[in-house]
Amino acid sequence: MADPGAANRAGAALAALERAEHEWGPRRVRLWVILALVLAFYAVSAWLVDFDPGRLATGLPKLWHWISQAWPLKVEELPLFLLRTAETIAMAAIGTTLAVVLAIPMAILASRNITPFPRAYAPVRWFLNALRGIDSFVFALLFVAAVGLGPFAGVLGIALHTWGSAAKFFADHLENVNLGPYDAVRTTGAGRSTAIGFALVPDVLPVFASTSLFWWEFNVRASTVLGVVGAGGIGQELKNSMDLLDFARLFTIIIVILVVVTALDQFSQRLRRRLV
Amino acid sequence: MSTLAHQALPLARHAHAAERMSLSGITRAFGARVAVDDIGFAVGAREFVAVLGPSGAGKTTLFRCMTGLDAPDRGTVRVGGIDVRDLHGRDRRRIGVVFQQFNLVGRLTALENVLAGRLGHLSAWRGWTRRFPRADRLLALECLDRVGLLDHATQRADRLSGGQQQRVAIARVLAQQPEIVVADEPVASLDPATGAGILDLLRTLCREENMSIVCSLHQVELARDYASRVIGLAGGRLVFDAPTTDFDEAAARRLYGTAGDPIR
Repeated sequence: MADPGAANRAGAALAALERAEHEWGPRRVRLWVILALVLAFYAVSAWLVDFDPGRLATGLPKLWHWISQAWPLKVEELPLFLLRTAETIAMAAIGTTLAVVLAIPMAILASRNITPFPRAYAPVRWFLNALRGIDSFVFALLFVAAVGLGPFAGVLGIALHTWGSAAKFFADHLENVNLGPYDAVRTTGAGRSTAIGFALVPDVLPVFASTSLFWWEFNVRASTVLGVVGAGGIGQELKNSMDLLDFARLFTIIIVILVVVTALDQFSQRLRRRLV
Repeated sequence: MSTLAHQALPLARHAHAAERMSLSGITRAFGARVAVDDIGFAVGAREFVAVLGPSGAGKTTLFRCMTGLDAPDRGTVRVGGIDVRDLHGRDRRRIGVVFQQFNLVGRLTALENVLAGRLGHLSAWRGWTRRFPRADRLLALECLDRVGLLDHATQRADRLSGGQQQRVAIARVLAQQPEIVVADEPVASLDPATGAGILDLLRTLCREENMSIVCSLHQVELARDYASRVIGLAGGRLVFDAPTTDFDEAAARRLYGTAGDPIR
């Protein structure tokens, strides 16, 4: 034994550790209180949502019955479904593009490090959070009332909600960007906007482009339901079929949506991989 | 032989095997680039082997093959006569590894990180629940004391300085009780004084715990101070292998002089 005190020191340390572990200190009490609160939260939540697996058990056979009724699929209406799906994709494309174009100036105002008007920072962030907090579905509901039924209301709904989300994402990305190259370019005597264009834009553009594509893809999926409130696209046909209890038509539409969305995902993913 | 006070635990020791690790014909290529080319040597008991060579000489690739983290295209690494690729599960504890970036679990305490060295000796549920037998906890604390960090036992690993983290990593290897310790640039991320302290500890493992050490280094002087034997790599080939006393200025110049050559 090189050091006769070593075993004693380790032994004493272990004894102290064990004492601390058995003690009911404030940390331990807090842990149990938090645990109890989490359990209570789930209990109340389950009660609020009427969580009842029994009803699922009785409902599943019904669903199965509908699926069995869905054959043969309504292929003769395929052209209409494809047209409506194209409408959905177009809604998402125009809405997302509008949102991204509006989001870029807002993002600059909402990034603490590069905003030319620091005083506007807080209100702009507030505004963006409000847009983000309201779903495109809710916006579409309002616009159907204001501009009438049809896909245009859907486009406005998508644009407003995505505007908030995109601007916030862009701003967060801008705030974390490496300003070193920008500072270096500024010291060469280039003006502020030249420096942004020369040093920051090449850095952030691929990320912005790839996330914009992601939002388009996301909005296609989200806007399949916009038709339910009368804001155009395939969702309208979906709702009609459900109202008529026409399950063959319903499942045909679901399959069309599935195929189109999957194909679009693949396409967008490949494009994004090449961008970043 | 060991200076650890607590010896109730069964320790995986193979003190009689003269040859702890042997490499033969190790070759590893990445695409067309041959990183390691036909390297062979053996490490005996109580040896402290320094592996030197310019950047890109193949040190890291060789070390990954030695620890079984990467498989060579040709050749074998044997530990106690067994091919590293056949060392599965528990048997992997026979090779201890010290990393350049320490690789501690940042959110766990120093003590828990040292106890990781015991995982190869215990059943799996101990790791999941992080409940260790008293004997192992005592051993881990002794290991921490050996590296001078007993007072930091309950601190989170990511709160410790780089030098302290590497000392915890060494305590982890100490608790693991391997036959051989492989250290890839263990001091490259540390300041000179702290690095010397780490090499002191590795030498202690070698002399007092009967572990063999294979350690790659950047500085020739450190190899001269600590190692008993020097192995030189250049362009993926073994170009020097002799006791440290034979590694003179001329040999060092030859080793690093080849760095600029278009061999690679």
